[in-house]
Amino acid sequence: MKLLVVGGSGYLGRAVAVAADRAGAQTLSLSRSGYHPAGPGAAGTGLVGDATRPGFGLSGAALEEVREEVTHVVLAFGSVRWDCPPSEALAVHDTGMRTVLASLRQLRVLTRVVHVSSLLVLGRAEGLVGNRELFVGQRFRNWYEYGKYCAERRARDAGDLPVNIVRLGPVLGAPPAGLALDTSHGLLAALPYLLTGGPVHLDRRGHYPCYVSEVGSAAQVIMNALNAPSTGQTWSWYDPDLPTLAQVYTDLCAAWGRIPRLVDVPALRPVLRLASRRVGVIPELLDYSRPWFELAPDILSDLPGDRPVSGGDYVTTTGRHLRDRGRVMAGAMR
Amino acid sequence: MSGVDTDVHPFFRFYSAGNFGEVAPQRLSPMSWSLVGEPMERATRVFSRRVWGRCAWAEGSCYVFVGYFGCRPYHNLSSYCALADSIPGVEASDVTAAYFEDIEPPPGIAGVTVPWWARARAPGRVLLELAGTGPRLRLLEARVAELERDARRTAGGGADTAGMLALVLERARAVLVDAWSVHILSTAGLVPARVALRRALRRLVRHGDEVELWLSRPRELVWRRLHAAALAGPDGSGDFLASSFYEVADGHAPWASYAVRQQVVTGTAEDRVDVLDPGVAAVEMLGEHNRRIVTALSSTVGETMAAREHSKSLVMRTLHVFRRVLPRWAVVRGVPDHAWPYLTVAEICGTGRLDVLERRWDDRREACEKALATEMPEHLDLRDPASPRPWLGRGVRPAKGVSPGRATGLVIHPDISDISAIPAEPVVLACVSADADVAPLLPFVSAVVTERGSELSHIAILSREYGIPCVVGHQSAAAIPTGTFMTVDGTSGEVRVHER
Repeated sequence: MKLLVVGGSGYLGRAVAVAADRAGAQTLSLSRSGYHPAGPGAAGTGLVGDATRPGFGLSGAALEEVREEVTHVVLAFGSVRWDCPPSEALAVHDTGMRTVLASLRQLRVLTRVVHVSSLLVLGRAEGLVGNRELFVGQRFRNWYEYGKYCAERRARDAGDLPVNIVRLGPVLGAPPAGLALDTSHGLLAALPYLLTGGPVHLDRRGHYPCYVSEVGSAAQVIMNALNAPSTGQTWSWYDPDLPTLAQVYTDLCAAWGRIPRLVDVPALRPVLRLASRRVGVIPELLDYSRPWFELAPDILSDLPGDRPVSGGDYVTTTGRHLRDRGRVMAGAMR
Repeated sequence: MSGVDTDVHPFFRFYSAGNFGEVAPQRLSPMSWSLVGEPMERATRVFSRRVWGRCAWAEGSCYVFVGYFGCRPYHNLSSYCALADSIPGVEASDVTAAYFEDIEPPPGIAGVTVPWWARARAPGRVLLELAGTGPRLRLLEARVAELERDARRTAGGGADTAGMLALVLERARAVLVDAWSVHILSTAGLVPARVALRRALRRLVRHGDEVELWLSRPRELVWRRLHAAALAGPDGSGDFLASSFYEVADGHAPWASYAVRQQVVTGTAEDRVDVLDPGVAAVEMLGEHNRRIVTALSSTVGETMAAREHSKSLVMRTLHVFRRVLPRWAVVRGVPDHAWPYLTVAEICGTGRLDVLERRWDDRREACEKALATEMPEHLDLRDPASPRPWLGRGVRPAKGVSPGRATGLVIHPDISDISAIPAEPVVLACVSADADVAPLLPFVSAVVTERGSELSHIAILSREYGIPCVVGHQSAAAIPTGTFMTVDGTSGEVRVHER
């Protein structure tokens, strides 16, 4: 297996490269930054490119190598910021995805592609939702969700390519060596404010699932999807223990010895929205203060291969990692 | 200035080829001008009267809203800006951004105002006028279809062909006036409607500036239906698409050389995925109250844009009837085939003596020859009619994104002969300007870049409809060599050329 990880310098992309290396695959990590793995635990070869350009933005020998030799591809590229503007979200996840699919059609020995989608494509879906559904009339909270919806739509309709799709919720866990977690977006963006002890309104005080998963287990699911037959299927993965949002925030704050003040006071929502930037919370995060969606109970049973085991107390580990590197305080200063 | 020119307005002295220049041929024959300029002038006067009442400056024997100089059609930029200034909250720059390639508005004219009460009631009046476009368009659609059928019947010849031709021409003139009237109404009404939408979006929606472009789209694009009709066979409602827009004498020298029509590419794109429209997604992200406001405003804009495109297609179909019937009518009238483009529709349909007409076409041909030899600028400053100057405003305008998104690909031009010639890789369409004639190409391209265009250009509307980034006003778009590797950012207006 010669694997190309598109978006190989990202949090998940690096974890996939490590998992592929362990599985004995030869890995090429494509990214704009030209990330070149080094040091213990590092895996693969770095390629400087751009997924949104034809031919992955590669030229010469690198393009030739990819076109002639790559057998497997993981698409884990693009911003995961919930506050990204629509132009950015669509340039990467819609137009970019179309360009990537066109580039994939040039690969001569392509056997399998795994597109990493997000459970957030379900937006504010109502009723039980399974793997088959993509658009069920849901309203999207932000342009990231809509962008990922477009990307999955494109991937599903690329019937001429051997594409499988894996949907993930927010991914947590200690990052691979040399990578610092970004606390300026996603669930982690609330941490600076939570650590100040300020009250945060969450419906039901956050006692609803947020479908997080551990980064290593997510990488393992992607590897399993790479080895599964290409049926154009979509699989979902999240921590089967279904930690609630309250639990996740409590475990994250535990690293600082704090308990977040989660309250169910709907009147706080507009106040926080008005003051969101001042208190260090992105407005988009407040849209997740209600139960997200409800997944079909047997949704994990379809997963290919062995079900991975999450790496211990990964949420607390994430908190400790952030505390040790002073990431959250840096975020709070911003 | 030449002998075929219209008089320069005594106060409004700045003209722009602007919206004409994007799609109409650079020069129009006197016949085409009589089918375009005169009904547009009449329609704009009617619109102005219905919205603001009688204003002395919007009437008179001189053309107020359009002009014809050096055989080139112009809009009177000054008078359109004066109309914009007569609606509360709307500025002259809103008009120039929408239709006149964002050129700097000319200086205002002291004393050209409307009473405060007429200004105050203008938005409501515009809205009322817009509300009536739907039934008018439905009626027009039926009248144009009948007209096309009658025009086809006259092609067979027969004893009463002359009578039939006269009837068709008479009806066509009436239909043309009504079609231009709806087109002017929807074109003018769009400006305040968009200003209202833009303000609401900036207040109520995150990234409102970007979202506005998705919400400024026609509810239904008539061009798809017409292109389908064109593919179905000749003599249908889409028949006109193979001819030049605006120029009815496009088979005659010298007008044919200005009326170059881009080739329509046949074939179908791969099945496009029906992705949820980003405009719908944007509205659905809002809370209940804001959603209602934005939906109402965007529906008004969308319906008005659809009406504008629809009325334009009806105008073009009616002009196509003239294109087919006029040569035959010229034979009936004894006017040589080479001469009728130099007459006006009123002259050729009137009862004037042939020898009078003959002197007229001879004089006009001579005047046109001189006029065509003169370079006519895009934007015209006629403060001194004896020495016309180009109006440059603040100078070269930067390229502008009119359909959001970003894409990278290889450059192609619209003269591509067949879809099989389009590379398998993503491609960027680069051209001087574009109208509905490039619509068949759009499913195959990832982005568009043009030299001409404004926020409400047809290419901008079409690009938003197809969900592809578009940049207008790129000074050298048509000169970019085929196969160049470039990125087009339809949000920021940036165009970058890459090494491969």
